[in-house]
Amino acid sequence: MRILFLWLATTAALLMPATASSQSMTACRAKPELLKLGSSLPTARRAIAERKHLRIVALGSSSTAGYGVSNPAYAYPMQLRIGLEKALPGIEIEVINRGIGGQDVEEMAARMRADMMPIPPSLVIWQTGTNAAMRHMPIDQFEQRLRDGIKFGQSFGADFVLMSLQYAPAVVALSDQEVYERVMAKVAMDVGAGLFRRYDIMRAWYDDGMPYAQFVQLDGLHLNDFGQKCIGRLLTQSILGALTGP
Amino acid sequence: MAAAASTRDIRLDLFRGLALWFIFLDHIPTNVVSWLTVRNYGFSDATEIFVYISGYTAVIAYGRMMEREGWIRAAARIYRRVWQLYVAHILLFVAFSAQIAWVSIARDTPALIEEMQLLGLGENPYRAILEAALLKFRPVNLDVLPLYIVLLAAFPLVLPLVVRSPLSVVGASLALYVVTCRYNWSLPAYPDEKVWFFNPFAWQVVFYAGAACAVLGPRLAWLDRFRWPLTALAMAFLLFSAFIALSWHYNPLARLVPAWVSRQIYPIDKTNIDILRFMHFLAIAWLVRLLVPIDAPLLKWRIWQPLRRCGEASLLIFCIGTFLALSGQVIVGQHEDSILSQIVVSIAGIVIMSLAAYVAAWFKAGETARAPRIAKVVE
Repeated sequence: MRILFLWLATTAALLMPATASSQSMTACRAKPELLKLGSSLPTARRAIAERKHLRIVALGSSSTAGYGVSNPAYAYPMQLRIGLEKALPGIEIEVINRGIGGQDVEEMAARMRADMMPIPPSLVIWQTGTNAAMRHMPIDQFEQRLRDGIKFGQSFGADFVLMSLQYAPAVVALSDQEVYERVMAKVAMDVGAGLFRRYDIMRAWYDDGMPYAQFVQLDGLHLNDFGQKCIGRLLTQSILGALTGP
Repeated sequence: MAAAASTRDIRLDLFRGLALWFIFLDHIPTNVVSWLTVRNYGFSDATEIFVYISGYTAVIAYGRMMEREGWIRAAARIYRRVWQLYVAHILLFVAFSAQIAWVSIARDTPALIEEMQLLGLGENPYRAILEAALLKFRPVNLDVLPLYIVLLAAFPLVLPLVVRSPLSVVGASLALYVVTCRYNWSLPAYPDEKVWFFNPFAWQVVFYAGAACAVLGPRLAWLDRFRWPLTALAMAFLLFSAFIALSWHYNPLARLVPAWVSRQIYPIDKTNIDILRFMHFLAIAWLVRLLVPIDAPLLKWRIWQPLRRCGEASLLIFCIGTFLALSGQVIVGQHEDSILSQIVVSIAGIVIMSLAAYVAAWFKAGETARAPRIAKVVE
């Protein structure tokens, strides 16, 4: 018993300095202008107004699949569903997770038909860019695959929202990651898709002094519980803003 | 093989106990107490310690058995252990799900029921139970035992070889590791398209490093002729990885890391145990070997007793720790992540784990005390 007490005392003493650290850096936040999607999501609006039913496909790689989060419910697609259900009572919200870890834009575009045909969604969130950038996919090829994919998806009548790269050590180290980011913004503008500026939102966290450990897993690449939940919440805000805006 | 197992190596129980405490602390997502754990100061974490010691003890326990009673008996005993691990895993799965269900029902909050559903149980419970039985569906932190089960299930095939020629096993193990990383071999998991979070094809490299060290035992002293260069390398690598790890917590440090270094090291994959993680663990193991020799007097200090007891009853304590980490997560969440709740939960969890380990030791002492008498009666 005395041994246990000794352990308790030591632990308590060691933790004194840790308790002094502030909690101000744990707030989930983004400037309002970063949350503007740049699309009014007409198909999704119609689905809500006419059918009281919004079906969303989250197409993407490991971020969408929720790699390494301690609970699948924390991955952004589920956070989106929970958030939309809360904000839109009486509307049936369905979010289908089509995230497969490690895939890049080409592999995702190739499976789009299989992912969308059986149950056509009104809205597709397409999270991409990171794996292409990490594999140094030529930027023209990236742009072309992205355009083709969206065009194909739009032929099913779905609205598109692109989700850009994550701001994480493994991505920042690439040094040309922002080229992919800009191409995504340009393509979104050209084809009338929305853009969820994940990269800019997360960079703002970092520039404000939030450490990587707060939002990235220790592998230096994937979003952790906080990062996923927060991105899910901000994406929900963005989509609600687009649905209710002018 | 001979001398390796002559005295019980206290270090194994002690560091396994420590790894179990770390796993518990790290599994509570928001926890200041996890600042005390190894993962904040380098690339590797408690998983490496646990898997390495598992390989080490497997050789000690079953190698001797094979020597005395033959391979078949040893293999049978290993599979009995695999069965125990499997049963423990399934029990843990049920207890885990029950705990989530209980929390959801008791608090009657839709968000939590939602979370329960999203673990994969609500949408298709029968399928989920089937996949859990096949070890493919493992919600929240239930990844370590399936890894251990697979590693141990393959162990009887390797045991005769590792005892005779540990270095060739290390060579084969490294080759499998490299090929796995190169060609992305993995085991499928549930829901579809997921893979095992801890890839056994990759993580076996840590297990067999432990197994080989156990066989080599005193022969490892051969390395001592390179003692200083190896120590210098290990120290340098630990400092480098501590710098990188701390840079995840302090942005000014992160800005000091040159881009070309980042390009080389990231991502530091956990699924396929990145080479940096493995090297970091080996560096720690080397220094521990020098600083804490098998006969170090400090090992006998009574203060380590809770750790040793936890290490001795590792399966029980692992299960309790994983279960408690979920309780801890819920409790900390209820207190809006307050730091006080994190500390109280962490300490309470470790006290419960230690008490359980003492009870287990008490039971075991009773059994071994009675065993000879029973044997005599039978004779």
